[in-house]
Amino acid sequence: MQIKDLEINPDKQDQDDPELRALLKDYPMPEATAGFFDQALVRATHEGSRRQRNRWIMTGFGSAVAAGLVLWMIAGSLLTTPDLPVAEPAIPNITMTLEEPRTINLVFASAEPLDAATLTVLLPEGVEMSGFPGQREITWQTSLNTGKNLLPLKLIATSPMGGEVYATLRHDDRRRTFRLRVDVS
Amino acid sequence: MSAASNIAFEKLVRPHFDRLYRLAWRLTGQKAEAEDLFQELLIKAYGKLDDLVKIDEPGSWLSRIMYNLFIDERRRFARRRMHTVEEGEMAGDGLAGLAGTDNPARDLDRLERMKSLDSALSKLSDEHRLIVMLHDTEGYKLTEIQELMDIPVGTVKSRLHRARARLREILTESGTFS
Repeated sequence: MQIKDLEINPDKQDQDDPELRALLKDYPMPEATAGFFDQALVRATHEGSRRQRNRWIMTGFGSAVAAGLVLWMIAGSLLTTPDLPVAEPAIPNITMTLEEPRTINLVFASAEPLDAATLTVLLPEGVEMSGFPGQREITWQTSLNTGKNLLPLKLIATSPMGGEVYATLRHDDRRRTFRLRVDVS
Repeated sequence: MSAASNIAFEKLVRPHFDRLYRLAWRLTGQKAEAEDLFQELLIKAYGKLDDLVKIDEPGSWLSRIMYNLFIDERRRFARRRMHTVEEGEMAGDGLAGLAGTDNPARDLDRLERMKSLDSALSKLSDEHRLIVMLHDTEGYKLTEIQELMDIPVGTVKSRLHRARARLREILTESGTFS
């Protein structure tokens, strides 16, 4: 069957390979965990209400530059007005030089002290963290003070592919994920 | 938000839970990731409740948000899949969806065919795999896929055609099809 035919006659789409379509129609899918939908609903409404109470305030990545000059920025901001809409932050971007270490400053702001928060960093293929060669997922526990908290991460690009770095901070049932796009020159 | 907001939110989203969960599973291919994606969707949608109440077709709107969430974080979901290859195979979650019959031989044959299909699907690109599963497994119309993925319907058709052709080729090579 020619693709051109399909565009002229969409009905042909449903005559294409009935044996294969029968197999695909039978392709199974597991049920969600019992009670999952109810729990997800509760978590979603809890999360929304909590945001409004300003009890969980986070920011995003900052980026560092060479020559000791630190130009970090905060992708989010400390929310002090309950009804402020939550904007979608743009994804910060940095350009790294192949095989040249570079420090990325991760900046978090919290409205309250957070003990035993878990931070997970996911690295794209070809980007490594100093001290963790070959690891693309690094998790550790940390504590946050009220206000801004700075965590420097030394990264090195081992291939020119680049990609996105994800950092997820979890505390109790709360979670925030931030992204940083890395280009390699 | 108020309790009334919570009730309004539930009333708007709950009718679409099954379809959204199925979409999440088709997107991610694993139960844990599907539930994670579903959860993220609900949190995001709750923050957009003011918009949600004005939408004529909340199901399509929610599906689109879920798809965009997945695309935005595809690398994260893809990573998890790489870490849990065993779980992603049919011997894991997928088998739970296979209902047994009173004919063990036929069950075994079906299981083998599903394993082959699962393996073949994993060899397709994300776009092709998703389109063929949404259309042929979930019964989405071409226009629904067009709207979800924001691509021309002609592109949906051609990708569907190519995905089927590639699947047929892989399944023939594996002996599932003659």
